[in-house]
Amino acid sequence: MITKIRAYINRAFEDVPKTKKSTDMQEELISNLIEKFNDQLRSGKSEDEAYTAVIAGIGDLSELTESLKERHVLSAPSAQDRKTSALFISAAVMIYIMSPMALIFSSEVLNQEVMGLMIMFGMIAIATGLLVFHFNSKPKYLKEDDTMIEDFKEWKSSRDKDKALYDALSSAFWLIVLAIYFYVSFTYHWWSFSWIIFIIASAISNIAKAFLNLSRHDHEK
Amino acid sequence: MNITSELLRGHTETIILRQLLDKDSYGYEINKAIQEKTNNQYELKEATLYSAFRRLETAGLILSYWGDEQTGARRRYYAITTEGRNLYSQNRKDWEDAKTLIETLI
Repeated sequence: MITKIRAYINRAFEDVPKTKKSTDMQEELISNLIEKFNDQLRSGKSEDEAYTAVIAGIGDLSELTESLKERHVLSAPSAQDRKTSALFISAAVMIYIMSPMALIFSSEVLNQEVMGLMIMFGMIAIATGLLVFHFNSKPKYLKEDDTMIEDFKEWKSSRDKDKALYDALSSAFWLIVLAIYFYVSFTYHWWSFSWIIFIIASAISNIAKAFLNLSRHDHEK
Repeated sequence: MNITSELLRGHTETIILRQLLDKDSYGYEINKAIQEKTNNQYELKEATLYSAFRRLETAGLILSYWGDEQTGARRRYYAITTEGRNLYSQNRKDWEDAKTLIETLI
């Protein structure tokens, strides 16, 4: 019976664009109707009677569904969401840019190369952590029903998110590699062979990519 | 009964605001409270109730948030804003005036 109530509401919302507002309203309606249905059962009604009472009590939903159709055809991220997003990304980028400065400062002024290196990696780790947290805490596209289009939208949404995360990590990685290259070359004058770091880095990046793809495959199966 | 519901319909939003004065609540709870108060004589249709929520929220008279139920379905709670309280007092006053006026006339 509960599936029947759910189906009734889903049918009423068939023509309504799937926005956050409309899916929230659908969920709200369904959960309240189910509670009402359970209350009716508890008061001694049969399943059929309770279902009839619940459906009869809903009334004409067209005003509600029409009002959801008018606006918000596409639910763009809110101004607040955009602000937090910008804050996270700019903080992370700022830390990335500042991380070699910590290295230069502590090695040139304090003569503490190791400490400088540790601080730099620490800062990079924090910045990367920020980015990973940010991209993972973004809301996913919510699947509405089991149609292929919905599957595709969800797949695409998670792909886009993965790609943004991957891009951020990869650019951070190459910045670090570049920093190490300059640092090692300047300090030890290894210019003749320090370029090999790029080949090693490229190998590491490809291995990491392969691992990520493998784990995703496992996930999907 | 038909005349009564016609009359009541114009006050749907004030009725909802009144329920939210005491505490935050969700759709079914509000409707149940209305039913209990009227001895099962009056109950809002879900369509009416949730359309009213939307209008009130758009107008900034109420706010909504999802509850954190551990079991079962999530509930969307509504809370009245200061503007909502002000409008309630105003509507209440208007109603008192209308009531005295009608009583002298019929």
